[in-house]
Amino acid sequence: MALRVLGVTQNMRSYMRGVDLIKRYKSALTVKKTLLNIPATQVTRLDNGLRVASEDSGASTATVGLWIDAGSRSENDKNNGVAHFLEHMAFKGTAKRSQTDLELEVENMGAHLNAYTSREQTVFYAKCLSKDVPKAVEILADIIQNSKLGESEIARERSVILREMQEVESNLQEVVFDHLHATAYQGTPLGQTILGPTKNIQSIGKSDLTDYIQTHYKASRIVLAGAGGVKHDELVKLAGQNLGSLESSVLPAEITPCRFTGSEVRVRDDSLPLAHVAIAVEGCGWTDQDNIPLMVANTLVGAWDRSQGGGANNASNLARASAEDNLCHSFQSFNTCYKDTGLWGIYFVCDPLQCEDMLFNVQTEWMRLCTMVTEAEVERAKNLLKTNMLLQLDGTTPICEDIGRQILCYNRRIPLHELEQRIDAVSVQNVRDVGMKYIYDRCPAVSAVGPVENLPDYNRIRSSMYWLRV
Amino acid sequence: MNVRSFTMLQTLRNSWRTFPRRFATKVTVVGGDEIGSGTGIGQITGRVRSKDGGPHKVNTPSKEVVTHLPPLTEPLPDLPEAVYAKPLVESVTTKVTTLVNGLRIASEPRYGQFCTVGLVLDSGPRYEVAYPSGVSHFLEKLAFNSTVNFPNKDAILKELEKNGGICDCQSSRDTLIYAASIDSRALESVTRLLADVTLRPTLSEQEVNLARRAVSFELETLGMRPEQEPILMDMIHAAAYKENTLGLPKLCPPSNLESIDRSVLMNYLRYHHTPDRMVIAGVGVDHDELVEHVTKYFVDNEAIWMNENLTSTGPNQVDTSQAQYTGGLVKEHCEIPIYAAAGLPELAHVVLGFEGCSHQDSDFVPLCVLNIMMGGGGSFSAGGPGKGMYSRLYTKVLNRYHWMYSATAYNHAYVDTGLFCIHGSAPPQHLRDMVEVLTRELMNMTAEPSSEELMRSKIQLQSMLLMNLESRPVVFEDVGRQVLVTGYRKRPEHFINEIEKVTAADIQRVAQRLLNSVPSVAARGDIQNLPELKDITNALNSSGRSLGRRLSLFK
Repeated sequence: MALRVLGVTQNMRSYMRGVDLIKRYKSALTVKKTLLNIPATQVTRLDNGLRVASEDSGASTATVGLWIDAGSRSENDKNNGVAHFLEHMAFKGTAKRSQTDLELEVENMGAHLNAYTSREQTVFYAKCLSKDVPKAVEILADIIQNSKLGESEIARERSVILREMQEVESNLQEVVFDHLHATAYQGTPLGQTILGPTKNIQSIGKSDLTDYIQTHYKASRIVLAGAGGVKHDELVKLAGQNLGSLESSVLPAEITPCRFTGSEVRVRDDSLPLAHVAIAVEGCGWTDQDNIPLMVANTLVGAWDRSQGGGANNASNLARASAEDNLCHSFQSFNTCYKDTGLWGIYFVCDPLQCEDMLFNVQTEWMRLCTMVTEAEVERAKNLLKTNMLLQLDGTTPICEDIGRQILCYNRRIPLHELEQRIDAVSVQNVRDVGMKYIYDRCPAVSAVGPVENLPDYNRIRSSMYWLRV
Repeated sequence: MNVRSFTMLQTLRNSWRTFPRRFATKVTVVGGDEIGSGTGIGQITGRVRSKDGGPHKVNTPSKEVVTHLPPLTEPLPDLPEAVYAKPLVESVTTKVTTLVNGLRIASEPRYGQFCTVGLVLDSGPRYEVAYPSGVSHFLEKLAFNSTVNFPNKDAILKELEKNGGICDCQSSRDTLIYAASIDSRALESVTRLLADVTLRPTLSEQEVNLARRAVSFELETLGMRPEQEPILMDMIHAAAYKENTLGLPKLCPPSNLESIDRSVLMNYLRYHHTPDRMVIAGVGVDHDELVEHVTKYFVDNEAIWMNENLTSTGPNQVDTSQAQYTGGLVKEHCEIPIYAAAGLPELAHVVLGFEGCSHQDSDFVPLCVLNIMMGGGGSFSAGGPGKGMYSRLYTKVLNRYHWMYSATAYNHAYVDTGLFCIHGSAPPQHLRDMVEVLTRELMNMTAEPSSEELMRSKIQLQSMLLMNLESRPVVFEDVGRQVLVTGYRKRPEHFINEIEKVTAADIQRVAQRLLNSVPSVAARGDIQNLPELKDITNALNSSGRSLGRRLSLFK
């Protein structure tokens, strides 16, 4: 009974605080209009559910692309790797263009065609002169709807993907992050790699690819985004012409919840010169309001590498410690989001015998973040976060990318002034609260590759996730 | 210890022994009754647990609301109405003002809430002949450290962060750039900061020591990475401009780390960071406002070296010599770190260099088109259509010789000369063939290209130019560099027209021009099979004759 009462009061309290905050907004916003020296983002939904979103800057170049709500998370253990395989097959010719025709057409107009697959999204985009936008949209629409998927091309691409796998394996950061997902999301589709296991790559055939397209490339799950010299009305018209016949899905996309498991993977390899370690707790999904304070926390921990020099003056505490005591070669704090979950943590590269000291510093910093981070640090991190977010939007491709991703994740583009306001609203208490909610006394997922003998065992890592004194 | 645990330990020890050495994979799961086997990355193991109940609740974040705002999918209540900008066609001109002391200020208006402001200086390793090489490398690391008005780097960063700014310093062979991107309203603050950073750095002992450490870390990291470009570019310049100007190293030689100190650096700054060698450029700023702030902070306030008695006995003038192209060979027999993944071979690298032309030369644009036409990249993937997958080094080299790992053409243009080079990498046993293949390809450029190929290269160069200029910092650099050299900025449209005019004959002419020069060669790695320099020279000179033969160009 007492517990229930307590629960209620807590809810009340949080509600009250919410009211408080909104009040503060009202008083701060006596000026009703705010000038944004950027063009507006326009969004239109076609009859079949496909969304068209663009920002017209009148530039002489443009980026247009298709953002599809499907990635390796939409796969199962039998067809893991299909999404990525399709990305490769997209440039291998369609019903009306041979591979060479497609390549020459793009090359001859000085455009770039690109594609990538992530765990939740598949993206095809083209960068071109603004006068070529209609052609670029037509090509993009053609490659996702009429890909030829010839048997001989599939066979050839198989070996290309296997070679790509080799490249990925040579990038230890990618290896560490793949292991991190594999252990943190074990038993769930998010634990799968994007490339898929060798076994699948060797067995994936035309029917797997067509099945995947049939199931996932539905109009309601696709966004046509554009930035630079693109007129919204024209883009909508082009979408109607080229993508209007795409089927809309009957059922909404189903997402299997992906469970996070605190656990670890160690791949000890003493022949490597440096230890590569990632450690993360479960963060929140894209849309969660806690995402912004978590990003602030992530910026606060920061990133550093030793060639930066002057690390002793760095804003980040951890960078200062790393520079002064030679703890690591580099570190990078991350906040990776998915639909309903996320990984918040740090990746570092250090000398073999520095693992323990580095980790000690990382975890001390995390605990400090949850309990006694200062206002000055939070303010600084907020400023940095704003800067990073705003400065990143330079050039048509980053803007288009931002539009496409946001429409898929939030079903809208968050206006800049709202984003600024959300960051401004993060208080030092808010950072400590999210720290307590997501970091403090939580079981982390750990992934370590290289000479990692010096990394403390899991139980010791776990026991540094709380303090007996707070 | 009881018997049972002892046996367990034994079993454990034995099981460990069955793992291959150095590759032990161990997986620990907290409180889980279903354990992932961890035998492969991303393999699905274990069952999916039901939503309710079960031990997994232990590690589920609480549902407590700690951020009292709607989710990101919903707009905040009471947001002010936004007034957006209208798309505008960029028809701007670059305004240039020269102050009495010779300092030039150039600016362009641009969209957006941010501006990029900075200095482009006529300074860099090419002027280091009378100094220990590496001065510029140190200066790059020392940028944005303490100054007369800012006690330390932290104070500088805070001043920038206050207005959402970031800063960077980059040195190339003949220019040094200090720049910041910042909220347009903070123009005065950033001008004051830039003036202090360039004219009044204190260069304390401690900071110089930290820079020394950063430089040595960077050299160490370069030595550990399989990528060889920075080292090779220093080597090919050293071969092409033997011991003069552009041939001087950009990377500080390890032996100079100790000999560069505050007095050397101050002396260098005193003669190279003078107003007549500077351009202050701004993109997205108001010109008059910029001029006003610059006058206040760059002209009215003195540089630190004016008030200081420099004890250095270093040189007291700037090296104004013309770059002398010499050609020649620079090689280093060494082990090159291999990529960590299995199956990728050890590589030997070679760069072939030829005297190109200055960016003021009338052949500059045709040479850029030739560069695009040769193109190239890594053998693994051209990176999708549009990345030059139909360039010569792909179609004629990488697609044909599968032992080639990479082949790329570069065109370096400077104010008084230029260096055109082709970089290739392959396993050491193919080094000789690689040199031959690359030489032959350059020689083939003297034959008339097809009109489709020429048109493609021209359009690609045009679109590349425009795409690069999408980004504000690139526009800034372009404005700054052009004004530094000529006093004004040629508009992108000018280059678009110039590219349009290039003919097949132009390409053939510039290709021949390259071939007329003495070759420069840089090689690194296991290079026992490297052909003699004189054989390469001979092969190039006898172009027409030996071309027909399928056999080796080199005897």
